Amino acid sequence: MADLALAWKLAKRELRAEFRGGVQGFRIFLICLFLGVATITAVGSLSHALNGGLAADGAKLLGGNIDLRLLHRPATPEHRTYLKAHSATYSEIIKMRAMARPVDQRDKRAMVELKAVDQAYPLIGTLQTEPARALADLLKMDNEAWGTVVDANLLTRLGLAVGDKVRLGAATYQIRATVLSEPDRVANIFSFGPRFLVSAASLADTKLVQPGSQIRYHHRLTLKPGTDIESWKQDLGDTFPTAGWRVRTPEEAAPGVRRFIERMTLFLSFVGLTVLLVGGLGITGAVKSYLNARIATIATFKCLGASGDLIFKTYMLQVLVLGLVGVSAGLIFGGLAPIGLLQLIGDRLPVQPIIGVFMEPLALAAGFGLLSTITFALWPIAAACEVKPAGLFRARISPIGAQPKRKYRIAMMVGIILLSLLCIWSANDQFFAYWFVGGSAITLLLLRGGAALVMRLAARIPSPDNALWRLAQANLHRPGATTPGIIVSMGLGLSVLVAIALIEGNMSRQISERLPERAPAFFFIDIQPHQVADFDAAVTGVTGTSGYQRVPTLRGRIVKINGTPVEQVKIGHDSHWAIRGDRALTFAAEKNNESKVTKGEWWPANYAGPPIISFDAGLAKGFGVDIGDTLTLNILGREITAEISNLREIDWRSLRFDFAIIFAPGTLEGAPLTHIAAIEADRSIEQAVEKAATDTFPNISAIRVRDALEAAGNLLAGIGAAIKGTAALTIVAGAVVLAGVIASEHQRRVYDSVVFKVLGATRRRILGVYLAEYGLLGLLTGLIAAAIGTLTGWAVIRFLMRAEWIFLGNVITYTLLTCIVVIMAAGLLGTWRALGQKASQHLRND
Amino acid sequence: MPSTDTDSILSLDDVHLELNSDAGPVHILRGIDLKINRGETIGVIGPSGSGKTSLLMVIAGLEPATSGSIIANGHEITGLGEDQLTRFRRDHVGIVFQSFHLVPTMSALENVALPMEFAGHGQAFEKAQHHLNAVGLSERIHHYSGQLSGGEQQRVALARAFATEPKILLADEPTGSLDQETGREIMELLFKLQASVGTTMILVTHAPELARRCGRIIKIADGRVADG
Repeated sequence: MADLALAWKLAKRELRAEFRGGVQGFRIFLICLFLGVATITAVGSLSHALNGGLAADGAKLLGGNIDLRLLHRPATPEHRTYLKAHSATYSEIIKMRAMARPVDQRDKRAMVELKAVDQAYPLIGTLQTEPARALADLLKMDNEAWGTVVDANLLTRLGLAVGDKVRLGAATYQIRATVLSEPDRVANIFSFGPRFLVSAASLADTKLVQPGSQIRYHHRLTLKPGTDIESWKQDLGDTFPTAGWRVRTPEEAAPGVRRFIERMTLFLSFVGLTVLLVGGLGITGAVKSYLNARIATIATFKCLGASGDLIFKTYMLQVLVLGLVGVSAGLIFGGLAPIGLLQLIGDRLPVQPIIGVFMEPLALAAGFGLLSTITFALWPIAAACEVKPAGLFRARISPIGAQPKRKYRIAMMVGIILLSLLCIWSANDQFFAYWFVGGSAITLLLLRGGAALVMRLAARIPSPDNALWRLAQANLHRPGATTPGIIVSMGLGLSVLVAIALIEGNMSRQISERLPERAPAFFFIDIQPHQVADFDAAVTGVTGTSGYQRVPTLRGRIVKINGTPVEQVKIGHDSHWAIRGDRALTFAAEKNNESKVTKGEWWPANYAGPPIISFDAGLAKGFGVDIGDTLTLNILGREITAEISNLREIDWRSLRFDFAIIFAPGTLEGAPLTHIAAIEADRSIEQAVEKAATDTFPNISAIRVRDALEAAGNLLAGIGAAIKGTAALTIVAGAVVLAGVIASEHQRRVYDSVVFKVLGATRRRILGVYLAEYGLLGLLTGLIAAAIGTLTGWAVIRFLMRAEWIFLGNVITYTLLTCIVVIMAAGLLGTWRALGQKASQHLRND
Repeated sequence: MPSTDTDSILSLDDVHLELNSDAGPVHILRGIDLKINRGETIGVIGPSGSGKTSLLMVIAGLEPATSGSIIANGHEITGLGEDQLTRFRRDHVGIVFQSFHLVPTMSALENVALPMEFAGHGQAFEKAQHHLNAVGLSERIHHYSGQLSGGEQQRVALARAFATEPKILLADEPTGSLDQETGREIMELLFKLQASVGTTMILVTHAPELARRCGRIIKIADGRVADG
């Protein structure tokens, strides 16, 4: 304890001097810590603001305290009676996609998101329209047309104005207002069309409600005060165990947006952690440089009887105080920056964020910052304690190079483990967090190994005759060379950036380049069984079309695996999507030529036994099932259990019709099916195909695949740019650490330059040597980072996304150029200062 | 500007050196006049702060004279730019320092090869090895300065200074950091190398007995040549 008090006294003295000098020796340390902590805080705060907004508006976004959704069919009278009896207010909404056509312009049409509402809508919040009028008034039948309220962009798209009329199915609607704000609408990240709000009473006139049509029936209710939501759900499940509805509460109001926010948070947190990790290397370097400059002081302390422990405590206390300064600055900036950002762009986000300062992300970032400070500063401080006073006065190349005591090495390991655990614990997806921690460790090892290899090769490869290149090569492997410091500091951030750029580039290319070659021009939905022959003839009759496919389909949800409810089954991470919602199902007697059965046998064409299915081999692996196992599906409220008869390999990216679950004949034929179809067509005949399909069959919706892909591509490009922009922070951190590495050897460069000048080297020649050295280092660092980033990107694309890998040479070229330019620029700046030094003042004897 | 006197290798005419310090300008050399012939060995003595080292710096072109004229090996060096002075040094001058000033991250062999590489001499490393053999360090050529004793480091410095066979060798208290016995060995080596190369040597020293080994002694006091 007395030791600690003395250490604090000594630390305070040195700190005072350090603060008086403008923390010159700790600038890199502070910047590194600030960048890492600020990024983690900002990402966490943004996430809190958005998730808080989601939670606060949950009931409004959901449209009630409970939302029950059924596909294809409305609730039964028995259901309705129960729901009305067990709620305070009750409302029904019907949603589907449909084609809207102006009455006066027969060539124009647009797919819309149709929403039919009852008188009770909206249960929570208010719908704002322009002009502002009562909704019932806007939607009622008037002047031989029903009323509709639409998104303003539909007017632009179809060249219409409020007051004009449009056809939707067999009904005519007059546009009476535009939507300003819809309380229960989560801004869709990916939408098929603008809103088209009508009254439920008008829907029958459209004749769009056909058996098997892809219609979503929402039954919303608010609960009576004091009702426990969980027990309410339990009672509902007990009363109607096989109703087959999807039940959502306000917490699950916008699962897509929530998942998106969670994914972005996870990803950007990893970027923040990478910045902190790069910064950690900067912390180690900065503390080492600081202690190197204090060798005489440490030696004097030791000569005067100070123990190694006292010295450790003295300098660790200093580092902690300065760490607190860096962490605090990061917390303040990271906590406040999102507030400014959200005030600027808040209204363009899918949810209304809660603006404020959040303690949880601040505490987490502070934890990461302080733990990193201690962990990364431990080694140089502990090493400084081991230096012998006599050796301190004599050593020149690397004053602090001793191995720290075992207890400090163990403490450092504990710090690394705690940082890893904190990373895993705080991540919203631990699967990715494990990969991040493992990947970071492997990347660091690869970079350090790469640096060692570069040094070994530089020492072994015969030197060129040219003195400039010989010196540059030799500088790569000299004792105390900065090769490892530069390769690791720049390489880490750059590897991350390469991996991200390659993953983003691959995803964009999949959409923009690969798919359209084989992609259909249209998907058609809601084709009624009695329409198929005429529809086939109508669309294939358009000259220039090809590759027409049509299959019957309906939707059902996987509810049990081998008799166990899916919620209780451990399902592989990348197979979760299959149990999240309803899956499209089909049946077939014969196998599609495109499919490949990997296990089991396809059934005979005349199969007439109990229900059997063909299942996606990838999902089977994720579900832990094989042929002979069973899946239970809820189809239109009926549970059907089917045995897996065979497994198929499916290429989802082909955009051809394929289904994770295909039934053998004999099970689904009696259900109210609709058909879906796809056709390939040149862009020039798209309008003719759309006209042929929707003029005669107003209930059928046509989805333009090119438009959808373009929208997806634009969305991806936007997300990609945001991610790459954030990931560039790792390069900023790397550049700061690089500056630290170069600054740490400034004295050595000055000394070398002076001796070179004495021996007859001109400034140009010395500059040439250093530029060649930094250029070589830049090239090698870039190559190593490009290799690690490419390997990571490839693994993610191939194994995590299961997509085809496209090598993007331009990413590698940009990486190499960036790396060479940044390292040469940093080196040039450092060298320039060294060259400007006057030789004589360094050569005089003191 | 070629000199007219063919025997003279170094000629200083009214050389002044004034440097700025925190306390204001300091007049270090106050009109040095000096003429040194080829092959001569000069011992420069004088009290600390008299300007001995500054004189060497000015002759080496490491410190530009404030005024006056210096003609070295037929070249007027006053008024030359930094890079021209560097080239002059590369082609005509070798320097030995009290603190050795080896590049610590380079091996003995690299240190000795360096001036030859800068001068564009072929087979710099083979020649460097030969020079290190000549100073008795054939077994230590791949060692770094931190792995060598003070005497060994000064031997490397001697080998490096003589590597390009300079016309002028400047030695600034070369034994000042060494013990007596090692210092004696280094001086033997220095004079042996000087004799074999035939270089003109200016030796700055505090030790009168070392100065006496030179052909001529110049005494500096208060920035002027007091005797010699």
